[in-house]
Amino acid sequence: MTQEQGAARASGSIMVVGGGISGLTAALEAAEVGHEVFIVEKLPYLGGRVSQLNNYFPKLCPPTCGLEINFRRIKDNPNIKVFTMAEVTKVTGTPGNYETTVKISPRYVNDNCTACGDCAKASQTEIPNEFNFGMDKTKAAYLPYPMAFPLRYVISPQVIGTEDAKRIKEACKYNAVELDMEPKTIKLPVASIIWATGWQPYDATKIDNLGFGRHKNIITNMMMERLASPSGPTKGNIVRPSDQKAPESIAFVQCAGSRDENHLPYCSYICCMASLKHVAYIRELYPKAKCHIFYIDLRAPGNRYEKFYKKFKDDPNTVFIKGKVAEVLEDTATGDITVVAENAVTGEKISQKVNMVVLATGMEPSAAETKLPADLKFTDDGFILNDYAKGGMFAAGCAAKPADVVSSNQHATGMALHAIQTLVNR
Amino acid sequence: MAQKVVLEPDVQFIREVNKRGGDTLKKCFQCATCSVVCPISPENKPFPRKEMIDASWGLSGKLVSDVDVWLCHQCGDCSVKCPRGARPGDVLGAIRNYAIEYYAKPKVLAKWVNDPKMLPALVAIPVVLFLVVGLITGLLHFKPVPLHEGVISHGDFFSSWLVDIIFIPTFTFAAVVFLLGLKNFVTDLHSSAVREGKVTVQTINWKEFLLAAPKVLLTIVKHEKFTECGENSDRATTHMMVLYGFIGLFIVTGFFFLVLYGSMFAQYLAHGDFFGYAYKHAWHSPYSQWNPVKWLANISGIALLVGSLVMMKNRLTKDPRHAKTSYQDWYLVGLVFLLAVTGLGAEMTRLAGAAGLTYFVYFLHLVCVFCLFAYTPFSKLAHLVYRTVAMIYAEYAGREAKKA
Repeated sequence: MTQEQGAARASGSIMVVGGGISGLTAALEAAEVGHEVFIVEKLPYLGGRVSQLNNYFPKLCPPTCGLEINFRRIKDNPNIKVFTMAEVTKVTGTPGNYETTVKISPRYVNDNCTACGDCAKASQTEIPNEFNFGMDKTKAAYLPYPMAFPLRYVISPQVIGTEDAKRIKEACKYNAVELDMEPKTIKLPVASIIWATGWQPYDATKIDNLGFGRHKNIITNMMMERLASPSGPTKGNIVRPSDQKAPESIAFVQCAGSRDENHLPYCSYICCMASLKHVAYIRELYPKAKCHIFYIDLRAPGNRYEKFYKKFKDDPNTVFIKGKVAEVLEDTATGDITVVAENAVTGEKISQKVNMVVLATGMEPSAAETKLPADLKFTDDGFILNDYAKGGMFAAGCAAKPADVVSSNQHATGMALHAIQTLVNR
Repeated sequence: MAQKVVLEPDVQFIREVNKRGGDTLKKCFQCATCSVVCPISPENKPFPRKEMIDASWGLSGKLVSDVDVWLCHQCGDCSVKCPRGARPGDVLGAIRNYAIEYYAKPKVLAKWVNDPKMLPALVAIPVVLFLVVGLITGLLHFKPVPLHEGVISHGDFFSSWLVDIIFIPTFTFAAVVFLLGLKNFVTDLHSSAVREGKVTVQTINWKEFLLAAPKVLLTIVKHEKFTECGENSDRATTHMMVLYGFIGLFIVTGFFFLVLYGSMFAQYLAHGDFFGYAYKHAWHSPYSQWNPVKWLANISGIALLVGSLVMMKNRLTKDPRHAKTSYQDWYLVGLVFLLAVTGLGAEMTRLAGAAGLTYFVYFLHLVCVFCLFAYTPFSKLAHLVYRTVAMIYAEYAGREAKKA
């Protein structure tokens, strides 16, 4: 069969659930060969977890470098329709013929918005900044992050009906604030669905022996990304939360919740490289700061990651200790943390006092917490099991398995092809 | 420096650990969480992470001589926190069981005690022994004539002589087995601890070794190690009940023994005829319920009964991911329970005047007591001796536990 004949037979649209790096890739791959794609994103912006990173592998570039080009391609492509603050609530039908219901929550800001920021200046209510894991606050009218796409403000439902909402509306010169915006439900018929629902950082407060949430200077790896990011709560200064002091010593606790039957039984794949990347951030700011990495096994898959690991292996200020941290103690006077582990190589118990601790928490699939409203198969851990024999719906990226950006993109491309095949075989 | 180490894996040992409750051993991936969360592990070369890899590699020789295996009180904190469900607590229990068998002689009896299939044979030994010795000596009376009119006495059925002819040698046998085992045990513990750099003393000063005993014995009596446990600290209560029950019954039995033979000897000095007049006029059991010694006996019996019952309940309700009960565990807790039931049962039926029944229950009780004495050096109960000695050694040699 020639390509032309195949393309001619294709009909129907593809829905991509999730606008993170996997969803964007799948959507673009399908749209750029001529298929209609709907991106349904729960949050007010696209970019997902990657947008929260300071730098990302493989090239350690800031997320702007990869996301911006994708946003550009989406903007320029009439085949793609983006729904933000939207959630799929129902999927019925069979491969090739799905009927989906999408609920769109009100943003209270329409597309007149120029992102001038006057509304935020006018607002007097502060809400925890979820993008920065609650490490700082934003106004009730906010832009999720500086390069958010769509570049439009959002108004927190918390202030609707209050004086603050009035102030926000009055401040807008472009008539972009619509306080009476209602939730909408739309129905979209699609032929194929790609679930790119991604992941969330495992809730570190559940790991009770690692002290997160009890001791201020214990943070997670994703919080570290925000601290290192120029758009983060500290404008890129890596300082410890208790006193904004530059850390002289940092401990990294690997497998915090991962490879643990009491938490996430699987390896989250990214945490070893994430911690090494954090060492790179710290080296740049504080060349002499001591970094202690406590690990079970260090996993640096592939030549490129292996080379990155070797860079720090010989760094005299980076110490690798084979042994999992299982106990933490806080010095209440100084805020310093002592991490306790057994060095499995020497057989000695180590109590290492550091200024700050980073828990390399793992990836939990988003579907582990919120059940997806479709007839999908899941692993015990909440990852979607792709059923290629049945076809029609496919999981891409971290919805299917823990993965880094590179593998997520490769996987998403493959899933886009599967979705296209569903259209062709209709 | 690259050092060449040749490991000699004892594959049979790994199989044995698997059989004795350590079936999760190979799940361990050496993260060392266990060594950190253990509330009683020392700072220097903590356990049980190293024991887990040694066991995985089949290093039986290293493990049977490892003092740390005995410092473990199976709190279970390690098993609960283990990210792999490898249950280090149970693995160490299995290693201890293996070590008990390793140091015990005769080997064949040790094998039997740890094999559920041989349980009927183990029970048959005292039954046959009692009947044969009883019938040969004529000290077992199936139609007992009461020594004192109207008083049911177990001694009329199963003569005190018969009890002592059998139990004194049995007790001595157990003691000798222990002593022989202990000699090797302590030597091995010490050479291993020196080799592993766990202790600073080079040769054992036995006087100082013994001087360390009182402090350790006090720790044991107060169950201080148990109460340091996180997960299973509640076990301290039941274990204390059983231990105190045994101590109480040991005192009572010793008292009976001394009074019986003391009074018999006194009668003999006054009237002669040791086996006739003196025996008849000696102070025989049963004692009155008003006698304080009897109070102690009753309280101890009840402590054994309640303690073993709660132990069984706890074992049955425990999450199997965190702790498993092996045959060796059931054997011991079951024996304690049966000792208590038959002991109290013999007393109750006697007081109820059911002569035939009470003699039968008493016979069962004696079978249980025989199992307790004769098989202790081979069963889990041997921890009474081995753990105590290991703790004294650790105290003496300065293998310090974690500071609270």
